[in-house]
Amino acid sequence: MAQPQMVPAAHDAALIAAWQAGDEQAAAELVGRHARPLARFLAGAGAPDADVDDLVQETFIRAFRGVDRFRGQCQFRTWLLTIGGNVLKDFGRRAARRKVMPLDDGVRDMTGDPHEHAEASEAEALLAAGLQQLPRLQREVFLLRAQQGLEYEEIAAALATTPGAARVHYHHAVRRLKEIVNP
Amino acid sequence: MNNERLESLAKRLGSDVAARLDVAATARKVVERLREQPVRRIAWVQQTWLRIAAALVIVLGGALVASRLTPGRRPGVSTHAAHLVADDLSDLSTDELRDVLAAFDELISSDSVAVPEGSTDLHELDAQQLRAVLRSLEG
Repeated sequence: MAQPQMVPAAHDAALIAAWQAGDEQAAAELVGRHARPLARFLAGAGAPDADVDDLVQETFIRAFRGVDRFRGQCQFRTWLLTIGGNVLKDFGRRAARRKVMPLDDGVRDMTGDPHEHAEASEAEALLAAGLQQLPRLQREVFLLRAQQGLEYEEIAAALATTPGAARVHYHHAVRRLKEIVNP
Repeated sequence: MNNERLESLAKRLGSDVAARLDVAATARKVVERLREQPVRRIAWVQQTWLRIAAALVIVLGGALVASRLTPGRRPGVSTHAAHLVADDLSDLSTDELRDVLAAFDELISSDSVAVPEGSTDLHELDAQQLRAVLRSLEG
């Protein structure tokens, strides 16, 4: 397990305080620091490629508006990723109502450059499809751990569960994904 | 596939999308949206208080109406009050009208009741004036 590539939490805290004091540049800097990891998380969790930018924006908007609720129980990025999970869930509901693309059907966006899709490995595509078959909590724990490199304690704090429970969710996810990728 | 291979694949998930993301443009759009809709939280608070106020009005208003409509619960209201519902005022004698008005005395302190000018005591009113007062009470 690689070490998480986290930015210093103290710097995040200073930027959050500056944003709360009305500094828009602080908000822009927070976006700059965390937008790409958030985009990776959303894409891994099943967001269609074409909608990732909008979902990243929406996640930051919700985070900044609700930043009073962030009490440093985990790192800002981890908290942001959990908000991203909620944003994606709401997006999936709206999509299901419109009957455009239910996320849970394991159908991923195949619009865009065909060449880019051709470059994706078969195993990666299988993993992406397999993640869609997992329960949301298992999927998010797996991504937070395997993709974002977070410790179980950090995951547990963000998802309001225990490190032991997070570990169990992760191992269930890994077992299921192995079955899917190696049928 | 072992765990390391699985984690390696997981790390690559979404990398292309993230690399294509124009972070500066995203930051600019986020700041613009925050600037355009800065009062959403305040509006939510206002809506919440409005809902609480509306609920209070409904509860208190309902309780007031129920207390006025429930017979026999107001001390001092005589049985003559029932005549206002059942009978025409013309059927009541002067004494009965005085009794009814005395029972409503505490209610008619409001300025919506048309008491004849110069009158300070119900006993000074004749039957016609008493009927007029009662009719004004009926609305």
